[in-house]
Amino acid sequence: MKKMKRYSLTLTVNNETHAVVTPPNRTLLEVLRDDLHLTGTKEGCGEGACGSCTVLVDGQPVRSCLTLAVAMEGRTITTIEGLAQGGRLHPIQAAFVEHHAIQCGFCSPGMILAAYALLNENPNPGEAEIRRAISGNVCRCTGYAKIVKAVQSLAGEGR
Amino acid sequence: MEKFTLLGKNRKRVDTAAKATGEALFSADLSLPRMLVGKVLRSPHPHARILAIDTSKAEKLPGVKAVITAKDIGGDKWGVFRYTQDQQFLPTEKVRYVGEEVAAVAAVDEDTALEALALIDVQYEVLPSVFTMADAMADGAPQLHDAYPNNINVRVKIDVGDIEKGFNESYLVREDLFSAPEDTYCQAEPYAVAAQFDQAGNIEIWMPNAGPHMKAKPLANVLKIPLNKVRVRKITIGGAFGGRSEISPADVICAFLARKARRPVKIVYSREENTVATRQAHALVTRIKTGVDREGKVLAREIICHMDGGAYSSTGPIATSVPFLCMEQAYRMDNVRFTGYRILTNKPIRGMFRVHGRAFACGVDVQLDRMGEELGIDPLTMRLRNARQAGDYTPTRSYVASCGLTEAIIRVGEKSGWKEKFGKLPPYHGIGIGCNSVQTGFPMGIRGGSQAFIKLNEDGGITVITGIVDNGQGNDNMVVQIAAEELGLTPDDVQLISADTEVTPSDPGSYSMCETFIGGNAVRLAARDVKRKLFRIAAGEFGTGEDELTARDRKIFVTKNPEISMSIAKAVRIALSRNESISGEGSYWPDVDAKREWVKNPYGQLSEAFSFGAVIVEVKVDPETGQVEVLEATAAQDVGFALHPQVIEGQFEGGIAMGGQGGMLTEFLQWHEGRVLNPSQSGYLVPLAIDMPKINSIIVETIDPKGPYGAKEAGMSVAMSAAQAYCGAISNAVGVSFHDYPITPDKIVKAIEEKKKTKK
Repeated sequence: MKKMKRYSLTLTVNNETHAVVTPPNRTLLEVLRDDLHLTGTKEGCGEGACGSCTVLVDGQPVRSCLTLAVAMEGRTITTIEGLAQGGRLHPIQAAFVEHHAIQCGFCSPGMILAAYALLNENPNPGEAEIRRAISGNVCRCTGYAKIVKAVQSLAGEGR
Repeated sequence: MEKFTLLGKNRKRVDTAAKATGEALFSADLSLPRMLVGKVLRSPHPHARILAIDTSKAEKLPGVKAVITAKDIGGDKWGVFRYTQDQQFLPTEKVRYVGEEVAAVAAVDEDTALEALALIDVQYEVLPSVFTMADAMADGAPQLHDAYPNNINVRVKIDVGDIEKGFNESYLVREDLFSAPEDTYCQAEPYAVAAQFDQAGNIEIWMPNAGPHMKAKPLANVLKIPLNKVRVRKITIGGAFGGRSEISPADVICAFLARKARRPVKIVYSREENTVATRQAHALVTRIKTGVDREGKVLAREIICHMDGGAYSSTGPIATSVPFLCMEQAYRMDNVRFTGYRILTNKPIRGMFRVHGRAFACGVDVQLDRMGEELGIDPLTMRLRNARQAGDYTPTRSYVASCGLTEAIIRVGEKSGWKEKFGKLPPYHGIGIGCNSVQTGFPMGIRGGSQAFIKLNEDGGITVITGIVDNGQGNDNMVVQIAAEELGLTPDDVQLISADTEVTPSDPGSYSMCETFIGGNAVRLAARDVKRKLFRIAAGEFGTGEDELTARDRKIFVTKNPEISMSIAKAVRIALSRNESISGEGSYWPDVDAKREWVKNPYGQLSEAFSFGAVIVEVKVDPETGQVEVLEATAAQDVGFALHPQVIEGQFEGGIAMGGQGGMLTEFLQWHEGRVLNPSQSGYLVPLAIDMPKINSIIVETIDPKGPYGAKEAGMSVAMSAAQAYCGAISNAVGVSFHDYPITPDKIVKAIEEKKKTKK
């Protein structure tokens, strides 16, 4: 197989900069998981339908499985590993634990980041807004009830 | 009622903080030094003879470290039972479904592995295929296996009482046919497996599993090594729902690649591979004939069910029986005949599913509704008149020690406003009820019991060692809760070593929700063993009797005089200095009838405990589009005792999503000549947050005499009765009984149109 041209780029992930050399066809998901060992970001479907690979790019939730790594130069990326600070869970993570919004946990990183982006944009979302905001993320265990509760518990906070 | 410090409380689960931060590792997250990428070559044909496989070009490709075919593995056949051993991990003679494993490679990276697969040349002689059960059973049909004439893989026959007499005495008899295509688990985590060997020939292997010991034994058999060399390691598991129960060809392929390459290998399945090449749920066609008296009490029932099992046996005899067993547990039926057939077709392999047999359970319930209508009895009353009661024996002779079905029906009716709503809702609004029962485990042969150890440290902390596996439902937390409660410790004092076959003793695995009942009982007994030893020491120091002591807040004290106490740490130190054993051991074997066998003798005690659920759902149907809006779902289940109420609620809520919302509205596999047309996430519609209704959960407790603290199965009964309630509610809204599932908008629109035509 012909070797593809490789590109050097600088990725800013969770406030750290990483020099990455990659062929142009690799996704952000592959680079995060395989090169930077940030395995909290999961691959559930590889076609942008399940939301397990959700990360934040400049604060917006994106599907890292549909995002090319080479397009991420100069952007600010946050993965699930970037939320907890100094060993303390981020309030959204704490709410997911507290409200039993996590069962198998495979969807949780993407789900938590989707909730994080929502609360950044709208600190006081109603139930319908929460449901809409997390409907790009599939959970097979919980029926979403406790996930919605966890996010609701944070609505109105920090105002 | 005992007072508990931890049990029955909604404390944080021990496993979820690591899952919230991304720290929890799933199989695909593992990376080992020098690890290779494994890929599987799959059959493009539904049925074909393998004439030759040429791997020479693939082997020469730079970066390829191992290529394996059936020659490397040998012809070993896997089967859950001796009489169902029919699946080779790589087939030697022929392939039987599109997607079956044919060969595999391990290479330095994914691109190289994929290129190597393309270089493997397989010569096939394509054979005639069968895709429907009717075609498969026809005389002269292509045969999948020589051992199963007419492709009849399993036949289960249960005959109790006198159905002819029952039908003769019935006031009303009705016969209907129900059907549903295959569905799939769609676990969040696609299958993945990583394996490595050491110089001594020990294998370490990680994969999603519903029981590590159930993986280790077939691995030991096929690798021809003793069990103590097979180390199935603990790993976070992204959901099972019945679909991670058996050894997978991927496990064996990964192991053989690792052994041949002498390097670690990881195989990560795509979503599509997970759908096609792990397990699917059976397609069903069920004929149900029921006779009732004037009061709606069932006098006789005959059920003939055909299940499409795909290409191999898998858990066939169990899968063929369970939909019937659930119903015979839920409802009294003195005269009943069940004939279940599992038919083989050239399609992927089917296993047990959390909501196994929607075209069975929904049929029983929607038929009850229709008969009630003819008698002028509402569906809820029909359920109450036929509900199983504690102290009963099921038709196949299982004693039901605890049963809260009647209470579940009454409470779910009250909470949902059944009386005010049934028959009084506006047009195209409907309300429906479903009831089901699940067995808390079943006879599992040598693997029927669970054992546990507890080790103490001199600071008073403990380590619990158990084979119990957590698929996401919270089993790890359950174990820690029980051990800490028994010994008067906090969850932080407990370390858990579980689901690792190098160190953990035998355990049945997470089948039919038996871990709490069987494994939980073993852990409880191990903790009691420790407590007895600690109390012996403390009693000696206090000069009291051992039965006068209590353990709480990390201390042992005299129950009637708490001033007299010592820390558990001190008791441990005394034991160590006296050279007294302080470790604990517990084992639990459920009291089931060992002579009961799925096919040969389907009578006797099946399980020690049975759970019972009832769900009511209210829906609104759009008559123009056929879209169903679910307004509210109310679930009640007799769980025996709620060890952790919110964890149980989570099971209910997830069960309504999977069994009702997904299982009854959107989830099914589509086919073209043995190919799945919708194996991807975007093609297989599972419920999203916007789809889900408000859910009310009601926990019914009956304190089962044998369950740990009275606990038994929790959640599966709700998942199944949710499907039945959705079916009843939509049928009620439209005024037509639906017999083919899921109930998609096209079926609803068609039913409404046909109803209008008949009216004219």
